[in-house]
Amino acid sequence: MNEKTSYEFHVQGMHCKACTLLIEEAFKELPHVEEAHVSLAEHRVHVTGAFTGTPEEVAAELTELIQSHGYTLSVEQQVHQAGWGDFVYALPIAFALIAALLLLQKAGLTSFITGSDVSYGTAFLIGLIASVSSCLAIVGGLVLSLSAESAREGGTWRTPTLFHVGRLGGFFILGGVVGLIGNSFHLSLVANVVLSSIVALVMFILGLNLLDVFRFTKRFQLTLPTVFSRLIMRGSRRDHYFAPALIGVGTFFLPCGFTQSMQLYALSTGSFMQGALTMTVFALGTLPVLALLSFGALTIAHKPWKGVFFKTAGIIVITLAIVNGANALATVGIINPLFNF
Amino acid sequence: MDTKTLISLAVSAVLIGWAFWVVSPQSNAGGDTPVAPTAIIVDGKQVVDITAKGGYSPRVVVAKAGVPTLLRVRTNGTFDCSASVVIPKLSYQKFLQPSAVEEIPISAEQAQGTLQGLCSMGMYNFQIKFQ
Repeated sequence: MNEKTSYEFHVQGMHCKACTLLIEEAFKELPHVEEAHVSLAEHRVHVTGAFTGTPEEVAAELTELIQSHGYTLSVEQQVHQAGWGDFVYALPIAFALIAALLLLQKAGLTSFITGSDVSYGTAFLIGLIASVSSCLAIVGGLVLSLSAESAREGGTWRTPTLFHVGRLGGFFILGGVVGLIGNSFHLSLVANVVLSSIVALVMFILGLNLLDVFRFTKRFQLTLPTVFSRLIMRGSRRDHYFAPALIGVGTFFLPCGFTQSMQLYALSTGSFMQGALTMTVFALGTLPVLALLSFGALTIAHKPWKGVFFKTAGIIVITLAIVNGANALATVGIINPLFNF
Repeated sequence: MDTKTLISLAVSAVLIGWAFWVVSPQSNAGGDTPVAPTAIIVDGKQVVDITAKGGYSPRVVVAKAGVPTLLRVRTNGTFDCSASVVIPKLSYQKFLQPSAVEEIPISAEQAQGTLQGLCSMGMYNFQIKFQ
């Protein structure tokens, strides 16, 4: 048996509370590791155990366990890589995608919907259109920022899957309840604005984190975790099934015009099954685009050009957050509308 | 700065400029007529007609100030945000039926200046300019 030794290593790629737990648990699974403690503030890990080899070899051995999650250990502290070079590609790509989204708005997609009768086919079509139009700014933006953040932290396919299952299940049950009790979940204007502002703020902070440039957002992350890390980000941990599904259910209440009109229709059906099916079919219509965003983020997170992807996503999410925030303020009449889509 | 950075910045700037031109409330990129239509008078009452579907049309209407006015918002298979009309100055908020005509009375006192209407998420808007 080797003597027990202690090492201190620098950790790269660590962003939040959930990461520290992930790393600590990965290390403790090694039989010869006795103790592992990760400090998020200092980006250091302290391990004690019966190691063999030089510190560099130990660092390499431990890195293997957490590499798939995007973390690496080193003996020497490495300079924070802001990756400014990635912006050369990320900036035009992000604004080209935003411009494409704008063109879609101007294409008059809503004219595909004719008449006021909502068959299940119509509900699906409305869902499809909703997922590429104004709702994308709120629901899509949130999905993109959360899945990119979760992917960056080493989340697996399970997180977005649970989100989508939660969303579909939530729309079925809540849609049924709306149909049955004939009382829709329409939020008042004030609640709408408050909700939009919170979503905008969360998106803004997540967007800044995705850019991974500003040191100060790390402090935001230190203040957010107790509320969000536990609920949202630890969804990437294997023992968390609940949080992503709960967020999926929560999207039922997100301020999105299309969702609210479908709720209004479900309300008018007066039956559980009809309300439930209408809302589920609508959610199914939104699924292709949302699934593409969430699973796409997950796949790209492990590609060599992930830096460009995260910065692109960050710019888009921040832009959407600013638009959402300005819209929320305009709705209550505080500022004049800045945009008209 | 190398060439790549310059190209990147130039492309981004053009795209941002174009995007702002498209979404600015004053732009006519939506295909509206450059001259704002005026309100009509029906049976001695001023009436403003606005269609709500994927936005509001016309986006700007000129009306006479200080006259009781009826705002008629027509929906036709409208399931998007424009069905949810908000007029902050009137403290008006309503989710309209998918296909109907909603009549919103505006009193003579309220018919002053510019009345701003939006959808509840704020991405579509319209203006009635009382002159």
